[in-house]
Parts: sequence; C-alpha cells; structure tokens
Amino acid sequence: MLPMTLSPDDMTAFLITLKLAAVTTCILLVISTPLAWWLATTQTRIRGLIEALIALPLVLPPTVLGFYLLLALSPDGVIGGFTGFLGLPSLAFSFWGLVLGSVIYSLPFAVQPLQNGFLNVGRSTLEASASLGASPRDRFTSIVLPLSKHAYLTAAVLCFAHTLGEFGVVLMIGGNIPGETRVLSIAIYDHVESIQYQNAHLLSASLLVFSVMILLLVYRGKRQQFSVVKA
Amino acid sequence: MIEIDIKLGKANFLLDARFKIPAFGVTGIFGPSGSGKTSLLRVIAGLETTAQGRVSVKGREYLKADRALAAHQRRVGFVFQDARLFPHLDVEENLLFGRRRLRKPIIINRLEEFYELLGVTSLLSRDISGLSGGEQQRIALGRALLAEPDILLMDEPLSALDQGTRKQLMSFLEELFQQLEMPVFYVSHSSEEIARLADQLVVMEGGQVKACGDIQRVLSLVDSDLAQSDSSFSVINGVVQQSVSDDVTLVRSEGGQELLLPGAAQPGDIGKQVRLRVRARDVSLCLEKPGSSSILNILPARVVEIAEQSQRGSRTVRLDIGSGAILAKVSDYSVKHLKLGQGMELYAQIKSAALLN
Repeated sequence: MLPMTLSPDDMTAFLITLKLAAVTTCILLVISTPLAWWLATTQTRIRGLIEALIALPLVLPPTVLGFYLLLALSPDGVIGGFTGFLGLPSLAFSFWGLVLGSVIYSLPFAVQPLQNGFLNVGRSTLEASASLGASPRDRFTSIVLPLSKHAYLTAAVLCFAHTLGEFGVVLMIGGNIPGETRVLSIAIYDHVESIQYQNAHLLSASLLVFSVMILLLVYRGKRQQFSVVKA
Repeated sequence: MIEIDIKLGKANFLLDARFKIPAFGVTGIFGPSGSGKTSLLRVIAGLETTAQGRVSVKGREYLKADRALAAHQRRVGFVFQDARLFPHLDVEENLLFGRRRLRKPIIINRLEEFYELLGVTSLLSRDISGLSGGEQQRIALGRALLAEPDILLMDEPLSALDQGTRKQLMSFLEELFQQLEMPVFYVSHSSEEIARLADQLVVMEGGQVKACGDIQRVLSLVDSDLAQSDSSFSVINGVVQQSVSDDVTLVRSEGGQELLLPGAAQPGDIGKQVRLRVRARDVSLCLEKPGSSSILNILPARVVEIAEQSQRGSRTVRLDIGSGAILAKVSDYSVKHLKLGQGMELYAQIKSAALLN
C-alpha cells in the first residue's frame, strides 16, 4: 500500500532541500555576476586558469570535493580555523556548511550560462550605449542585465536543480542530521537502505515531477524568446 | 576647431592622423577600405582605449597626453554602419536612450516635431525587430542627435542599405545637415555620397591623412592620390534655372556658366541650390569650340595645372571654368599632341554631369 502523504521526517527533509537549493541559488547568482562579467570582459592570461578552477566540480567526484571541504571545515582546517577565530560555530555538519559546499559544487552551473549571456550582448551594443553617455555601471544595468535575462533564468534553474539532486558533497560534510542536514537525496537513500521502498518511491516521484515541471517552464520561456526574435 | 593628432597601433596597421578642421558643416572622410577611416572615428569617440595623442573638439580636450576621457564622458554621437539598436527596447525608448542621460536637453525641445522630421512618428511604439534597414538607420541617427552631442560621427551609414533606400536617405541627410548646427564627420568610400553631402574633405590612405580642407580645393589637387585614381571627381555648386525641354534642365554655376543636365526639373526645384559631380574621366578637351556635338556641355576653360605624374598613360589636368576648378583625365598622347600647357585657353567637354539632388 503506497502512503499518499509524506511522513513528518520526509516533509522536513523536503523543506530543507528546497531551502538549501533556494539559498544556494540566490548566493550563486549574486557572486557569479561579477565573476562571469570579469571572465567575459578580461584580457588577462590567468583567465584560463580561473575558468578551469570554476569548471572543476563538473569533473571531480562530489565525494572528493566533499572530503577536502570536510578537512577545510575541521577546527584545524582553513575555513574551520577562521570561523573558530571569529568565535562562530563550526560549519561542518550544519546547514550553512551545506550551503557552502553547494555553492562551490554548483558554481560552474551559474558562471558559465552568465558568462555566455554576457558575451552574447556583444561589444558593439555596449559601444553604442557608451557613445550615448551611459557609464559602465549604467551600461551593465540598462543593457547587459535586461539582455541577459534568459541567461539568469537558465543559471538559476540549473543551480536549483543541481543542488536539489546533490548527494556526495552533502553526505561528506553534512552527514545525516534530521532537521538540520538531512536532505531529500539522503532521505531516499536511507529509505532504500532500510527497504522502505514506498517512502523512497513517493520522495523520488515528487522530485521527478518537480524537476520535469521546472524544465518545462524553462524550455517554454526559451521558445517564447525565440519566437519574439523571429516575428 | 576640431584638432586631431593621433596614433593608434594595431596588428599590422598604424593609424597616424593629423589635421585641423573648422567645427561646422559636414566633413567627408574619404578613402579606400582599410585606410583607417573607421579607426579614426573610433578614436575620436573614445572606443579605442589604446590611442595616443590629442583629440580636441570645440575646445573640449577628449584626449590629451596625460588623460583620456572615457567614451561616455565625451559628447560624441556615433551612427554605426549597422544601426546597433537595443533589441530589448522599443523604438521610442531607443530614441530617448541618450537623451535620458542628458542633464538638460537644450537643442531639441519639441520631440513630436523631431520625430516628424525623422519620419519615425508611426514607428514609436514598435518593437525594433521587423524594422527595415532604412528605418533602423533613421532611428540610430535620431538616437544620436537626441543626445545632443558636440559632434556627430557617421560611419558608412548608408552602405548596408539597398539602392532605393540609400537614395531616399541621402536626400534626407542632405536636408537635415543644412539645418544641423553641429559638425558632422561622415565616413564613406562612395564619391557620390561625399560629393553630395560634404563641405570639407579629409582624404585618408594607409592610415594617414593625405589631404584635408575645403572639398573643392582638396578635390582639385592634381597630384593627390585621389585625383590620380579612377574615382577622381570635382564638385560644382549651382542653382537650378529652368527646364529647357521635357528632359533637360538648365543649371547656372556659381561662376555664371550654364550647364545642361539630363532630367526634367520639378517646379519646386527652380531656384534651388544644387551640387553637381563631374567625374574627371567624363571631361575631355578641345582647342576649338566644336560646332555640333552630342555632348551637352562645352565650357570655355583655362588650364591651371597638369599633373607631373602620369598614371597608366593618362594625366589629371586642373581646369579653371570661372567658378572654381574641375579635373579632367587626359591621355599623355593628347597632352603632347595638343601641346597642353599652363594658362592655355580651350574648351572642356563634359560628357555627363550628375546632378546630385
């Protein structure tokens, strides 16, 4: 018999996952904007190096990333030492530790679409706006941002979806603390481990439906944008 | 005054341009492609950040040894070859983009009238996709003018348009320029556009300024590269007198010479100031006045100068026709045969003069 509602624990895991994905996406959009703009406009030689570093999470196994993060978050680690110095609680096995891990893990999914979006705006349009008296900041807000709307949507959806499905990094640095760091993917794993297939089903199915809905939304937006150009 | 003394190094190209020109009227910048015309405009507009030297427009130092104003701080209107309208804004928002960034508009106060003059009133709320090339260029021009710049730079604004639209826009520009008080730099490689629109001329080649000054004077320098080239031409100013018959119009030049041009004048054209372009290769010389000829215009002329250099067997000759000078291309053989020399009185046959309006 399939349970029709989520258990309170699973509901909590679902909400934590949504919160984690939303917070991560917001932070990523904010920090990726200057980073992507810099990458799209700079001429320096170290650009390739920075781009490679940002793309690293695409190829690195999440557990490897998680492992190093765990070391860094430990009281002797770089980040753990710093938070300890500031008198802050340790980030390891906490929600904000997960946020940090997710931000690093999903960084390329925010930076790359934005960088491409900014490049597509093109130098010629920016030159035209500069000759009309728009300062660099003005050009960014009145030309680049509106013309990169779709890039932002793509980046947001990719980051959100990618964080939603995250497993390896979370497991390494967050563990499985209900109400704090227990996210959907880990809850599903737990259910399967304890042979509670119905619960695993319900969670998996809701995640599946949710993901399909998001993607449909994005591709509809994309088609509309193209039809405007064609008209 | 507009004073330019700039250097810009690019991969296998060096722009090294120096000239001074009064800050009014239309200055044609003429030269073959790759001669640095566009780079010159880009340096003036501040779009080439590695340029060095001096750019001064009406006393404002855009570029000096120790400092360069950024593009948005210079008051330069730029009309690009491709209109470069902003795709996320409608026509009116595009037109007002620069004006909204002005502290206080002074020159253009009545927007409706300006839109009417520009011929864009019916387009204002339109999306920019779906506009024709001519409409896009009008909007780009309006957008630049509404920002009330010190100087308007136009980079081959008509070259991407079809022949019909081009003719239309040229007439429009000609009328507009007569009302415009700001100086215009107009880059083109079309002698027709230059002859029709420019009052002053800067001739460029290989990144350098070859000649600069009043258009009639510059065009009549027989030893210039331009005069030696096949596209060599002269400009005569005149006033439309009357239609002689259904298909011929009489034009009196500034010096009082009468010229007949093919095409009937419209009643509204009588008394209008016009410019004629005469190609040097369409002018031939006779020592005596030919009795009957199919050539409409045979004018008494005096040889002022003969080019020292011969180009593929022919030379450029400058003739005084009473109202400034025109150039003629004459073969070396004829120069010898007719014993052409300075001060000689003869007749110039103008095979065809193109009325430029």
